[in-house]
Amino acid sequence: MTRNPSTVNVDQPESSLADRSHLLPIFNGLAVTLRHFLRNLFGQRDVATIQYPEVKRQYSERLRGRHILTTKDDGSLRCVACYMCETVCPADCIHIVAEEDPNATVEWEKKPLVFEIDLLRCVFCGYCVDACPKQALIMSREHEMAFTTRAEAVVGIEQLRQKGPIEEQDLGYRPYY
Amino acid sequence: MTVSSANTELPLRDLLPGGADLKIEEASDGHAVITVDRTRLLGVLEALRDRPELKCNLLADVCGVDYPDREDRFEVVYHLASLEHLHRFRVKVPVAEGDAVVPSAYGVYKAADWFEREAYDMFGIRFEGHPNLKRILTHDAFQGHPLRKDYDPGQRWFLTDAETMVPEWATATSEDDDQFETQVLNLGPSHPATHGTLRTVVRLDGEVITRAECEIGYLHRCFEKMSETHGWQQVIPYTDRLNYCSSMMNGVGYALAAEHMLGVEAPPRAQVVRVILSELSRVMDHCVCLGANLVDLGALTNFWYFFQPREEIYGLLEACAGGRLTVSYARIGGLAHDVPADFVERVRFLLGYIPKFIDDVDKLVTRNRIFRDRTEGVGVISGEEALAWGWTGPCLRASGVPYDVRRAWPYMGYQDYDFEVPVATTGDTYARYLVRMEEMRQSLRIVEQALERLPDGPVITDNHHVALPPKSKVYSEMESLIWHFKLIYEGIKIPAGDGYFFTEGANGELGYYLVSDGGGKPYRIKVRPPCFAVFQTYPHMLVGHMVADSIAIMGSLNIIAGELDR
Amino acid sequence: MRQPDGSSSVLTTKVDAMLGWVRKNSLWPLPFGTACCAIEFMSVVSAHYDLARFGAEVVRFSPRQSDLMIVAGTITDKMAPVVKKIYGQMAEPKYVISMGACACTGGFYRAYHVVQGVDELVPVDVYVPGCPPTPEALMHGVLKLQDMIQRGETHYDRLKREHRASTA
Repeated sequence: MTRNPSTVNVDQPESSLADRSHLLPIFNGLAVTLRHFLRNLFGQRDVATIQYPEVKRQYSERLRGRHILTTKDDGSLRCVACYMCETVCPADCIHIVAEEDPNATVEWEKKPLVFEIDLLRCVFCGYCVDACPKQALIMSREHEMAFTTRAEAVVGIEQLRQKGPIEEQDLGYRPYY
Repeated sequence: MTVSSANTELPLRDLLPGGADLKIEEASDGHAVITVDRTRLLGVLEALRDRPELKCNLLADVCGVDYPDREDRFEVVYHLASLEHLHRFRVKVPVAEGDAVVPSAYGVYKAADWFEREAYDMFGIRFEGHPNLKRILTHDAFQGHPLRKDYDPGQRWFLTDAETMVPEWATATSEDDDQFETQVLNLGPSHPATHGTLRTVVRLDGEVITRAECEIGYLHRCFEKMSETHGWQQVIPYTDRLNYCSSMMNGVGYALAAEHMLGVEAPPRAQVVRVILSELSRVMDHCVCLGANLVDLGALTNFWYFFQPREEIYGLLEACAGGRLTVSYARIGGLAHDVPADFVERVRFLLGYIPKFIDDVDKLVTRNRIFRDRTEGVGVISGEEALAWGWTGPCLRASGVPYDVRRAWPYMGYQDYDFEVPVATTGDTYARYLVRMEEMRQSLRIVEQALERLPDGPVITDNHHVALPPKSKVYSEMESLIWHFKLIYEGIKIPAGDGYFFTEGANGELGYYLVSDGGGKPYRIKVRPPCFAVFQTYPHMLVGHMVADSIAIMGSLNIIAGELDR
Repeated sequence: MRQPDGSSSVLTTKVDAMLGWVRKNSLWPLPFGTACCAIEFMSVVSAHYDLARFGAEVVRFSPRQSDLMIVAGTITDKMAPVVKKIYGQMAEPKYVISMGACACTGGFYRAYHVVQGVDELVPVDVYVPGCPPTPEALMHGVLKLQDMIQRGETHYDRLKREHRASTA
């Protein structure tokens, strides 16, 4: 515990005459902005702007985007409707109704009849992915979703289901360890 | 218990009036807890402030807690700190529901002003002698007191009139000495320079402000009520949205508080990563504060320059946590998952990249005559005045008081890092700008040192009462699956008790007062927002300045509405 | 010039198409930013993403000078009358984008002081999910709104058609 930490005094001295006349600071300031301008003009690769939608920034493979319900090899959902994602969701945006799986094995006893996520309530925190014990719910890198009505944003099993081999999906946040 | 200082080693009882009858105990968070009846409250507070062995110059927080099962239903809790002797105190005053009146501490500590208004708003506890006891966070048509345990979290009240808060002095016409009428002007809440949700009503004599009053609460999102309805771990996304410009720091502060109460410590790797990301978040916050401040003054280019470092830090946070702005990366017990493999290279790149932009803005602004004319001497506040109002953080350090929680009460290993605390003496807007610029450079120094000492190892505790077990084990082992289920369904159980834990947020001392009843959900979380104490001084600082200065001052105080209103 | 059966003539639809093109490429936003989404909106107008490339060059905080209100952030019951007033002060044609979970539905704040979606107060054309939405998500929302303006599918266009139908 320090009651007298080592400090650095940042007070500036009084403005000198050169500063108050403002001529030199004008040139110094213009030098800074002109340097940025010329660098952008002649070195296109340094320009900070990303030309969306032609160029899209590559997000990391941990981005918390739209959810995906993963499937087993035979195409059925891995989800066993255990309600853990619904319980842990801080926004209460997941709605599950469970039903018995007619092809039940010990490991995959139930399946979801209804699995809806209200994407407009979702805060994309990733807790549902952390909570899932079957790696049934993961997130993709898809983050460009815009809707025209609120009802459109409540997505069900058919829209969340994984479409194609998992290696080719644009995967985002999923369990790591 | 004794209170030691340079002069004396006296028991605390002897230093307080009526000390023999007071209930004094030492809490696990290092605070001396004094439970006192309301009739003797002011005497105790004055003794704490005035006695040279105690010298509590900072009133950090005043809040209420509702215990409906007790005979004295409410408890008003005061948190005080002595920056000279480095002691902290907690004073508790129980009051019954039927007679919930407590003498106001405003006469002893001006900092109690808005904190008491909030306790009145949230619980209905009246503070006798308070100059302006009105609702502060909820709107005028709101009925009931929302943080009481019997208040339904979803019960809303609609407000239909946009101009309900009109101060009485604003409607009365007054004339100044020259027989000219003064004018009342409303600044905000939808105004480019008021950062979205702050409203000030000012009385103008020409261009000079003669009186001002602020209204806040336009972003009151009920964080504290939401934390009572969600589990301890589920509160972390809510904490991200408190000070959203540096969201990692809020999560880390909260996780540290919960870890203290649990008696669990995050592994060393998690602590160093938390330090690195917290300091980078501090740089981010100062970038946006200074950028917005300069935009309000007309210097738009610096805003663009400052946003580039922010974008690069976003890239790093997104690679670690999955979210740019609201990261939810901290967990109670450590971090959500390990940093990516290229973490060290990315941070090194940032260390070389960010200083160029700080230097650019420095060249454009620091010696610029226009900027100096607009900010020097504007919004001056002395160190003692600032402390009396409860200021902490860069705004306090710009007034000459070298209080930094990282040095005064170090946490997460800050005592081992070599950095300096920037201090200025003039206490005006220019000083606050200079302090923040230097703090960014010092933060980058800390990041560099932390990067050198980044150890290997796990990033979360292996105590499975607290942290989710690794997924590979959950998929294969029954025991881990059971831990996983228990943690998700029942939540973390923090033993009953309370504690106040604080860190140095980007704006100052960010404190969390946690009260637990042993269950899976917090009983009460009170956030001590640094800009709440700072903003309550703002109407008083404005008097005598011109309207344009009010914008410059507000920008320099870095008022983040998410933190202010919670 | 209207056909006898009330439908638009070729000239009127061409004019509509041109007006749509002009309006969509000169949307001046009013960032009604309250919370974290406002910071992400600041990122969108900054150099890295630059909304100005789509015509939203001038970010005007005055409702009289803007035509797109982007509600970015949580709207509380205290702020609700302000939102309605600002929306009322905007001149037509005006559009609203609701940015972020809090503005769309109240997000995870099912609380006593939070409006559960800004569409309780004003008609919303595009909802952009996310907390906060990434800058690309917001730009995607703006591009979607531009498509809607071109095709005449916004609330304003619907109101205009209803008005025309009722006065025809």
